[in-house]
Amino acid sequence: MEGQLKKGTLLTSECGNKYEIVSLLGAGGQGEVYDVKCKDSHYALKWYFKGSATAGQKEILETIVSKGSPDPCFLWPMEMIVPAQGNVFGYIMELRPKNYKSIVDLMKRKAEPSFYALCRTAFNLACGYKKLHDWGAVYHDISFGNLFFDPSNGDVLICDNDNVSFDKNKTGGVLGTPGFMAPEIVRREARPSRNTDQYSLSVLLFYLFMVNHPLEGRLEAQIKCMDMAAREKLYGTDPVFIFDPVNKTNRPVKGIHDNASIYWPIYPEKLRQMFTKAFTTGLTDPKKRITELEWMTIFANMMSGMMQCPKCGARIFYDEDLAAKGAGHLCWNCSNSIAVPTKLVVGKNMVLLNQNTRIMHHHIYGDYDMNTVVGKVVQNPNNPNLWGIRNEDTVNWTYEKADGTQIPVAPGRTAGIVKGVKIHFPNGIGMFE
Amino acid sequence: MEELRRPGGELASRPLHFFWIVDCSGSMYGEKIGTVNNAIQTCIPEMASAAENNPNAQLLIRTLSFSTGATWLTSNPVPVEDYAWEDLDANGVTDLGKAFELLAAQLSIPPMPARALPPVLVLLSDGQPTDNYKKGLEELKKMPWFRKAVKIAVSIGQDADDDVLIEFTGNRELVLQANNAAALTKMIKWASTTASMVSAPASRPMDSPVSAPADDPFAAPNGAPLVLDMSKIPDPGDIGAGDVW
Repeated sequence: MEGQLKKGTLLTSECGNKYEIVSLLGAGGQGEVYDVKCKDSHYALKWYFKGSATAGQKEILETIVSKGSPDPCFLWPMEMIVPAQGNVFGYIMELRPKNYKSIVDLMKRKAEPSFYALCRTAFNLACGYKKLHDWGAVYHDISFGNLFFDPSNGDVLICDNDNVSFDKNKTGGVLGTPGFMAPEIVRREARPSRNTDQYSLSVLLFYLFMVNHPLEGRLEAQIKCMDMAAREKLYGTDPVFIFDPVNKTNRPVKGIHDNASIYWPIYPEKLRQMFTKAFTTGLTDPKKRITELEWMTIFANMMSGMMQCPKCGARIFYDEDLAAKGAGHLCWNCSNSIAVPTKLVVGKNMVLLNQNTRIMHHHIYGDYDMNTVVGKVVQNPNNPNLWGIRNEDTVNWTYEKADGTQIPVAPGRTAGIVKGVKIHFPNGIGMFE
Repeated sequence: MEELRRPGGELASRPLHFFWIVDCSGSMYGEKIGTVNNAIQTCIPEMASAAENNPNAQLLIRTLSFSTGATWLTSNPVPVEDYAWEDLDANGVTDLGKAFELLAAQLSIPPMPARALPPVLVLLSDGQPTDNYKKGLEELKKMPWFRKAVKIAVSIGQDADDDVLIEFTGNRELVLQANNAAALTKMIKWASTTASMVSAPASRPMDSPVSAPADDPFAAPNGAPLVLDMSKIPDPGDIGAGDVW
């Protein structure tokens, strides 16, 4: 492949760093991406096509570079390269590590994350976009092409940050990608905003969990030719959620939308309710869309609420609504009845205590830190029938027996898991249920 | 215990039928057909790689050559990842009408499926039709899949009949001029990229800078290859409720 810039070309950044063109990595609608070298380190250079190298784009980029990255999960523009001649420019960012796969790979089943890694991917994505929105910025183009994930653990990388805008009145940028754009943008009634980002995020998350578009059911199947006119209708003027509880005209069609029908019953009722809200109320009322924090809450709970079918190994999601009705959990694969393990409940958070379960900072402190481990389910070395939670936090916990006796649990020590006892954490009380 | 793989299959996709329709008349002999052979062969892996990054489509390719008579090079559409370009030879007259007839037969349902993405038809020609092409074209124009197709023509050299090509594309801007080998290669490459534009529309620019005038595709030297903004392709009746079928 041949690009606009020849191998070996030297470009000097605004900060005076010299980058040498190594090879063309790819091209998109707005420009090309090159592997470049600076002092033995490799980086990525995005170089705009002439038509896209607008003054508006340049201004947006200057703002983005000066603001700096909101979080390490963004492949953020680091510095700009603006040659003295010819109205062209580009910017430098880190290269994407090879262990990150595209969402297309997930859709084509070339990347096979576990349900846990999938939930963590979703959690991290919501967390990333939240950080951007917390700054008052708008991403504009949440879609398949511009984010990557590590199928082994759910780490994410959000790329193509050159459309991020901090000022909705600034021109330039993109409206979004068909299928991901909010209906009001498709109908040309609105411009990208935090609320339209939230719609696109819901679509992306639905794809992640259902491997199907939320609006592609019977109405999609009835369309012979999927062209722009059809997309306008399906995603803009007449959108109907495939699982709309009232309007049942767009249910998944057997043989085409099987994934949606397979996955929908597997997840907890709370997730179904959130997707339903996102694509019923959320279709027409941008202000009532699901916020990133709501998504983070459910995905954190799903990550902590997993069970495994002892018969076939399938991962089962604990469903509190099902439990509240007194119904049992069945394996989605082999229909085996699944026994729910003991739960640690701390305020609104709940963790199912399986072998090797890790208690995260968020579970105890409610701060959405799902990376820091503060406790671990371990077996008593003297009695393998006894299980406990080892304190891996930095502070003491207090163990309260049923009779009220209190025992300190220092970091490294373990508190036995017994129904009826309590653990006093710094921010709340944990109960075994 | 090993965790069971998540259930379900790949994301549902639609077929995208891509047709190369190549003039192999005697006037194409030599450099022209050589350039066409080389350019299309070079495009195929790039089309395959673009298709790999697109979860919405299965890209299927077919080639129709016409000179004295017309022939399908493969009897069935071939998935792009399996497609191998067979070099074409040039001799004979320009039976475009015959090509249109064969094309019409393939654009009816069946063999075309009822659900698909808009087909892409790329016609390459350097001369005047020698048969009655009108009848075949009228036939084609009645077919829903022809009307919905993205039609591009590459007009090779000075002697091509642009009026005929415009009749085929229905749009002057989609008759691309190729007056030398470099231009021909570039036009073929650009035409090949429309497959991914049709199946996975890219981000829509906010203040859509209208693509460079299509009759002057090299307006921006060293610039972007033209970005075909599909929403800009005139659709008869524009976008009305009755246009979705």
